[in-house]
Amino acid sequence: MAEEMTGRERLLHALAGEPVDRPSVISACQYATYELMDAVGVYWPEAHSDAEMMAVLSGKGGAEVIGLDAVRAPYCQTIEAEAMGAEIKSGGKTHIPSIAKHPYTIEDTPEFPADFLQRGRVPVAIEAVRLMKQRYGDKVLVMGGIGGPFSIANSLIGITPFLKAMFKTPEKIEPFLEIGLQAAITFGKGYIEAGADAIVIEDMMASLDMISPKNYRQLAEPYEKRLIEALDVPVIIHICGKLDKVMLDIASTGCAGISVESAVDIPAAKEAFRANGIKTPIIGDISPSGVLLNGTPEEIKDAVKSALSRGVDIISPGCAAAPSTPLRNLQAMVEGAKN
Amino acid sequence: MAKSAAELNEALAEAVVDMDEGAVAELANEVVDQGYDALGAIDQGLAKGMDKAGKLFEEEEYFVPELLMCSDAVNTGIDILKPHIKMESAGEKHKIVVGVIEGDTHDIGKNLVKVMLSSANFDVVDAGRDVPPAKFVDLAVQEGAQIIMIAALMTTTMDKIGDTINLIKERGLEGKIKVVIGGAPISPAFAKKVGADAYSINANAAVRIARDMLGC
Repeated sequence: MAEEMTGRERLLHALAGEPVDRPSVISACQYATYELMDAVGVYWPEAHSDAEMMAVLSGKGGAEVIGLDAVRAPYCQTIEAEAMGAEIKSGGKTHIPSIAKHPYTIEDTPEFPADFLQRGRVPVAIEAVRLMKQRYGDKVLVMGGIGGPFSIANSLIGITPFLKAMFKTPEKIEPFLEIGLQAAITFGKGYIEAGADAIVIEDMMASLDMISPKNYRQLAEPYEKRLIEALDVPVIIHICGKLDKVMLDIASTGCAGISVESAVDIPAAKEAFRANGIKTPIIGDISPSGVLLNGTPEEIKDAVKSALSRGVDIISPGCAAAPSTPLRNLQAMVEGAKN
Repeated sequence: MAKSAAELNEALAEAVVDMDEGAVAELANEVVDQGYDALGAIDQGLAKGMDKAGKLFEEEEYFVPELLMCSDAVNTGIDILKPHIKMESAGEKHKIVVGVIEGDTHDIGKNLVKVMLSSANFDVVDAGRDVPPAKFVDLAVQEGAQIIMIAALMTTTMDKIGDTINLIKERGLEGKIKVVIGGAPISPAFAKKVGADAYSINANAAVRIARDMLGC
């Protein structure tokens, strides 16, 4: 079947619940793999801190080599924390950067740096989005990736002290959530100014693998909602893990799409959405560990069909692709949506 | 009237489930003051409470923060009781190496597994986080551990788990050292593909798996 739509049109239609020529395929989280790096001749760790390289790996790699309907930057979730003073450990050629030392303890009062947009790799990711918009913006949707306020707040003091403080001294975590929100809004607006068509929030620490539905409703969802209200482009939320008990709450943030893993009962979520008049599309849920990394292209095409039959609206890996995922498997995910 | 040892142990277990560090400290001190068996208070009190907390976790009544609070209460109790354990009553423990795979610094899952295994009376060797495959295998050999438990919290790091398993095979240690893997991105299918001996869905299951593997 000839393709009648550009990836950009297809994804915008899919997000709006309008008809498409075929199911849209994106990668809500990072999709740079070793073979993709070989294909475009750009590698980690350099691509983490060079806008041109990031634009080639994410833009050319995503739009041309894999054939996704959207491209996105960056690859890791440490940029906000680094800009606020975290010490970063390089992931070298094979991994993404990680936080070596958190900038604050729970006893501190965090401050939001006025020059946030100039700090660390923040300008790199924003410039990469600007370049991708110039080069691929007519064909694919260009997305800027940010952390959710809850996850950024976690990254400022460390997950374990944060979770304990939720019980012992809840008043002390509020300033961190506010700073997390401020960082996310500022970063998101920076992307939008550079031409981003959409924003992806990765709020991986707000997963029910970590916190209770009650915690999610009190400490994550209100901040996600304020963040989405502050950004005037479609905003996709990605949260890892089991989310069955909070799918309606996530939808209530006003997000343009919810990106989930295969741990979520999608038919049940769709049913609940229908009963509540919610039209938010569900994005997912091709398993990065279950099929993408080790499966055959045929198995991946089957996984795409299964996802569509279970009510997934937009195909995407359920989480970040493992860097050693074969390129042909990512391409098979796109092929699987074509017939 | 002074409580019996059994009553105190039961109250300890309850205080752990209630995440009440203060109550645990008080009760543990009472155990010591009464001259009751400190090891019994750990096994029948603190560990029992942690076991219950683990069950509540599997039932999705408790989540990670609750388990962390319970484990803090357990540690408070252990700190008070440990100096009073009579050495001969402490039997030999099985050693298990736990750690987070190379490239990954998220150690919350590993720490929970450590807490659950320790309170289930295993001797846990903590390899830390960002652990290269060779270090896992070296540690297990040095310490005489029969099980290595590896956590990965990101899809971007989980491929190193396969490298660890291959290394065990290369060194002819297959069957002698078993590998249990877990963490958010890990699935049973992935565990099977990379040749892990078991997949653990959570910290509580890790204890059951270890008991099965070691027959204890």
